[in-house]
Amino acid sequence: MNAPWPSRLWQRFARTRVGHSVFRVGLPHSNLERAQAMVSSFLLHVQPAKVNRHALRPTATLGLGLISLYLFFILTGTGVLLMFYYVPSTDRAYDAMKDLQFVVSAGLILRNMHRWAAHLMVLFVMLHLCRVFYTGAYKRPREFNWLIGTGLFLLTLGLSFTGYLLPWDQLAFWAITVGTSIAGYAPVVGPKLKYLLLGGNVVGQEALIRFYALHVIVLPGLAALGICIHLWRVRKDGGLARPDEPADSVQQIELSQLPTNKSYGLMELARGTTPQVGKNPEDEIFSWPHLIFRELLLFLAVVAVVLFLAVFWNAPLEQLANPIHPPNPAKAPWYFLGLQELVSYSAFWGGVVVPGLLVTVLVLLPYLDRGRAGVGRWFARERTVANTIFTVCLVVAIALTLIGSVFRGPNWSWQTPWQPPPAVVEGH
Amino acid sequence: MNPPSLNDPTSRRGFFQLTLGWLAAGFAVAASSAAAMRFLVPNVLYEPSLRFKAGQPDDYAESSVTFLEEERVFLLRQGNTFRCLSAICTHLGCTVNRASNGYHCPCHGSVFNEQGTVLSGPAPRGLEWFSVTLSKDNRLLVDKSQRVNAGQYLVL
Repeated sequence: MNAPWPSRLWQRFARTRVGHSVFRVGLPHSNLERAQAMVSSFLLHVQPAKVNRHALRPTATLGLGLISLYLFFILTGTGVLLMFYYVPSTDRAYDAMKDLQFVVSAGLILRNMHRWAAHLMVLFVMLHLCRVFYTGAYKRPREFNWLIGTGLFLLTLGLSFTGYLLPWDQLAFWAITVGTSIAGYAPVVGPKLKYLLLGGNVVGQEALIRFYALHVIVLPGLAALGICIHLWRVRKDGGLARPDEPADSVQQIELSQLPTNKSYGLMELARGTTPQVGKNPEDEIFSWPHLIFRELLLFLAVVAVVLFLAVFWNAPLEQLANPIHPPNPAKAPWYFLGLQELVSYSAFWGGVVVPGLLVTVLVLLPYLDRGRAGVGRWFARERTVANTIFTVCLVVAIALTLIGSVFRGPNWSWQTPWQPPPAVVEGH
Repeated sequence: MNPPSLNDPTSRRGFFQLTLGWLAAGFAVAASSAAAMRFLVPNVLYEPSLRFKAGQPDDYAESSVTFLEEERVFLLRQGNTFRCLSAICTHLGCTVNRASNGYHCPCHGSVFNEQGTVLSGPAPRGLEWFSVTLSKDNRLLVDKSQRVNAGQYLVL
């Protein structure tokens, strides 16, 4: 009875007629109630009533997928608020950005949060992809979920890219000019695709409204749907990948096969290695409070980091878009700088062939790499070949990004960050 | 006698209800998708005209290179010859800068000579040459939709 006052308050509310109609279960005290708390709530029932201990260890996943999800939440929240002031018109977009920065209450911090959360989301989706690879978590039965994940990765890049144009400043204009020109190099459909993306031949009003529609509804809608399926499949495919998984984990559980000595019920009737399939029931602990607590803590940490960045660093806003003078050098956002470095050698090979090949390999990966060993363990020795290939690709990508970010100066010429070349005098 | 099964596509009823039904459904989906895609391709563009008048020939000093900002082209006069060179890099569409003896692209470092030919960098083609003619009212008429071969001048 020495529960803290918020718990007591909630408990009392949950016992009233109104409270009971909303929550059904108050704060759980028995194991039965802990399971009920999870299944009776719409928001919580996506998650299992009990989870494997392995999945709760921070090193199992580093929480990377969850962090990406939280960033998506933050982006949706701040993005919807920004929509109340933003006008997708070449005459007014830049002014709206200035208003957000200097006039609108809390406009600056909301825009900063949106910007930093977007950068972080790209980063954490990439890290999540690396985690899933290095733990072999894309193998059977999770092949399809890897596919959905690849789609979500591309959607994240698409969201970032379409959002990049909206401020209608120099950075926006030239990044999109370069990016859509790369699309124009695609074989056969390239020029048509570019025309369709821009709604014309140049980056102008039609392009702005198209990117806006894609950014605020089409891509976020697809991403939200993809995220739902992605999370759903995590459970249906047997929870997080772990080393002690039964050999063939995809099977339909018959009701009669269920052990009767457990306090949780029908919600566990799912395909896959749901807890009752595991050899050792003692390996599972109740999601409430162990999982929920960790998730809330992580959410708090993510919000804190985004807020910290937004308070101390402003999102960049350059001069109004000017089709006549590209900034020198004109650089894409950091996650496309590796691509831009490749494109500076050849637009077709660097902009179309290499990324196309990478995406194809990512999509086909779980169907090509069919070995069953090393699932759920970091850098498993049985997967040395796969891990080595992946690491080499990763290092090359990081190196190209680094070169594009800091070793390229005016006219995309080589420079060293510690010795910048003299300023270039430009004239026509 | 039992009615023919719906699941038998070789029966008459099966054929009409299954085969034709699915064909109709497929056609409806395909046609509406095609219409939606076509909807997204604009039929009217509100972009600036590709044909424009660039003033009188004597507005340009002999042996001069003038950058026309709005049109993103260079107008060059050499004695009595005129030509018009695109300022849009053929690589990824940045606006090139005039350098002492040619043009530099600031985005990915392509270098062009006076004639617009690629000297180095990733640009796949030289800068475009646009048609320059003289209109009846003695104005230079540039048409950016008409590309001409490099080395084709307007001689007055």
